[in-house]
Amino acid sequence: MKKDILTSSRTGDSCIHIKHKSGLDIYICEMKGFSSIEAMFGTKYGSVNTMFKTAADKDYTTVPEGIAHFLEHKLFENEDCGVFELYARTGASGNAFTSFDKTCYLFSCSKNYEENLKILLDFVQKPYFTKENVDKEMGIIGQEIKMTNDNPEWRVFFNMLRGMYHAHPVKIDIAGTVESISHIDADLLYKCYDTFYNLNNMVLSIAGNISADKVLEICDSCLRPCADKGLETVFPDEPAEIVQAEIREKQPVGASIFNLGCKCTAKSGYERLKDMTAASIATSLLSDPALPMCERLLKEEVINSTFGGEVFYGDNYFTVIFSGESDEPEKIREALFAETDRLINEGINEKDFQRIKKSSYGMMVCELNNVEAVANLMLNAHIDGVKPYDAIEVLSEMTSNDVIDFMRREMRRDRCVLSIIEKEA
Amino acid sequence: MIYKRSELGDNIGFTTIIDDKFKSSSLAVYFLTELSEETAAVNNLGITILTFSSRQYRTYASLCEKLSELYGAGLGSIARKKGDAQILGLKASWLDNKYAIDGEDICGEMRKLIHGCLFEPNVNGNAFDAESFNIVKKDLIDRIDGELNQKRSYAISKAAKTAFRGEPAECTGYGSREAALSATSENALKAYRELMKTAQIEIYYVSPREDNSFAEMFTESFGSIERAPKKVSIRNHSPLKPEPEHVSEEFDVNQCKMVLAFKTESDDKYALKMLSIIYGEMPFSKLFLNVREKLSLCYYCVSTSVSAKGTFFVDSGIERENIDKARNEIMAQLEEIKKGNITDEEIESSLMALDNAVLQIGDTASSYISWFFDCFSDGKLITPEEHFNEFKAVTKERIVQAANSLKLDTVYLMLDKEVQE
Repeated sequence: MKKDILTSSRTGDSCIHIKHKSGLDIYICEMKGFSSIEAMFGTKYGSVNTMFKTAADKDYTTVPEGIAHFLEHKLFENEDCGVFELYARTGASGNAFTSFDKTCYLFSCSKNYEENLKILLDFVQKPYFTKENVDKEMGIIGQEIKMTNDNPEWRVFFNMLRGMYHAHPVKIDIAGTVESISHIDADLLYKCYDTFYNLNNMVLSIAGNISADKVLEICDSCLRPCADKGLETVFPDEPAEIVQAEIREKQPVGASIFNLGCKCTAKSGYERLKDMTAASIATSLLSDPALPMCERLLKEEVINSTFGGEVFYGDNYFTVIFSGESDEPEKIREALFAETDRLINEGINEKDFQRIKKSSYGMMVCELNNVEAVANLMLNAHIDGVKPYDAIEVLSEMTSNDVIDFMRREMRRDRCVLSIIEKEA
Repeated sequence: MIYKRSELGDNIGFTTIIDDKFKSSSLAVYFLTELSEETAAVNNLGITILTFSSRQYRTYASLCEKLSELYGAGLGSIARKKGDAQILGLKASWLDNKYAIDGEDICGEMRKLIHGCLFEPNVNGNAFDAESFNIVKKDLIDRIDGELNQKRSYAISKAAKTAFRGEPAECTGYGSREAALSATSENALKAYRELMKTAQIEIYYVSPREDNSFAEMFTESFGSIERAPKKVSIRNHSPLKPEPEHVSEEFDVNQCKMVLAFKTESDDKYALKMLSIIYGEMPFSKLFLNVREKLSLCYYCVSTSVSAKGTFFVDSGIERENIDKARNEIMAQLEEIKKGNITDEEIESSLMALDNAVLQIGDTASSYISWFFDCFSDGKLITPEEHFNEFKAVTKERIVQAANSLKLDTVYLMLDKEVQE
């Protein structure tokens, strides 16, 4: 069992990484002075993993859209009782979520963490799927899908992804559709479970008022060693070009909203972290209310304070997104194109660059104030193939030329998609 | 943790919480005033504009520039309601000086900046600066228009509007569209001055180190303001309607929403909270286990107790064809509790959940601030442990009594258009 202490030279924070004999990667952060504990048990299995095989399989298996999310729901049912019932006895708040590239099971508590950790490790390793319990879940997930379809932020985002990606499954809804989930059955769930819920493909992240030794003792007794099955996930070939530059939809909303996304080259691991940091600074600069472009758009009432930017990435996809409420998103697109060109041609004002860097650094340090954020940080870094404090290091080494280089390379007008949800007449 | 509270002036409370585990400091300045349709929007504008510019930082751009120089320090406004009161204010957070790469005094700079925003606003004559005002006014109107974007919270808000008709709590904490449209920078400035004079003010400062500089700054600055505070009544039970009122609206949506509002005359807020947990706040609650898990009717079906108004909401997202079935089950589960069908496990699980939640108070600066502000609003400062002991003392009989005090008052339905017959 290999044990490393990972430390941030910038803040002095540290955590422990263990490659457990069972195959599981474990991250532990003891946080002095905090009462709560946040634990996350995750697998690198999300909505984009629709095609896969193991070393033992001859062919690739293709599964219905939304199955990773369906599996997440069903894992909450044991043969004897529901998992919520177990947490109810300890007082923990248990939950789970499925995203594009991961499924996580978590609990938050301030007492009985040893018992809660045992519950978490046990139920995730003990699937129980039957025709009856799968059928029962159809109605519940069907309502979840309908609820998200009425969420304009969700719609505008997925419309943008559909305008951007020809084949990559990132464009499909995480929960699938009412039709796609109707093809899910217990056998398929077991197939996905056996493939992705292998400890070699999973990670445990736990932070807060804990003892690392106690956590490891529980892991030793609860984790069932897994043989690495040689999992392979594949993604369809995705051209660099977008599908369509503009998508509009009318919805019953009070305020029209937009997403303007730019399709970028997808990398992995440390190289992706560098691109992500450069992209993050670029979006901060382009959505900075302190700079003239946003100041002008605010004065002209084209944007309001909801305007902002973010970087969205995962396996084989990477996108820079600007979003907000506006009745004139085309004007925002033109302004962003012009400002990107200006920055590429004239360079970034060094004072602005340093200010944005400081601001990003401040927010990263503040994250370390929070038990939940620390557990998330450790888990996400692992899934992204980097170490938890790498982001602060990469940020500190970033130069304005790195950002310009990213913008020149990736932020191309012909790779942008404008998605708009408009008010109904 | 070190807790200190002092009175800096007439109805101006200042609470300091020192906790060395934090890497940042947080400040919240609350103004409590009466909630009313006439003043809610203009009050909101008069306070929110303070976070957009000041005499020193004349534009929103220059203020944002300064905040990002200070390692991404946050400055925002608060506008919400609590019972029949409007809660307005400023909130700020910043990195502790210890983490400043170039040795800057972030805390000292933030103190000056906050002082400027609060006491030296960007005023031209008898009005706020027009440019800042226009940005803030547009933001507010957009926020009000955007209510419909979030279907679930829109449905709850409409149910509350119907349930509390004729009472201050009928209004939102940020004001109506009409009032926002007619607001001017002159009357926003008047509202700001009136709030500085008459609002009850509560200030919370959470810091990793002992620091009196904020208390001194506020004492001096409020000292030069003439104060005539008006008491605000937060807790007023909403009267029950003679007959339940039904309201429905139709939209082009995929999922219908149903909100039921119940009223109670009970003052037993601890029993009402226990009731809410057993009934519908948690995954072990009766609504989750029956409406969702047993009948597969919904993804969520949740109860919320608004003790300041003696009101209880249940909300769910469902198919139109299942509305009656869901409603019948929601009522049937309440009947079960009224009949005393509560297990010892349900009571024990509720206490465990509360115990865990109470113990987590203090793990974030915002949880400290919420805790002490709630104590202030309830007029009683108790420790989280004492709070939990109040729950432990709640008997099954008190929960049953609380359940029996609930009477249906309002039913709000958001209906889809396409399946309408």
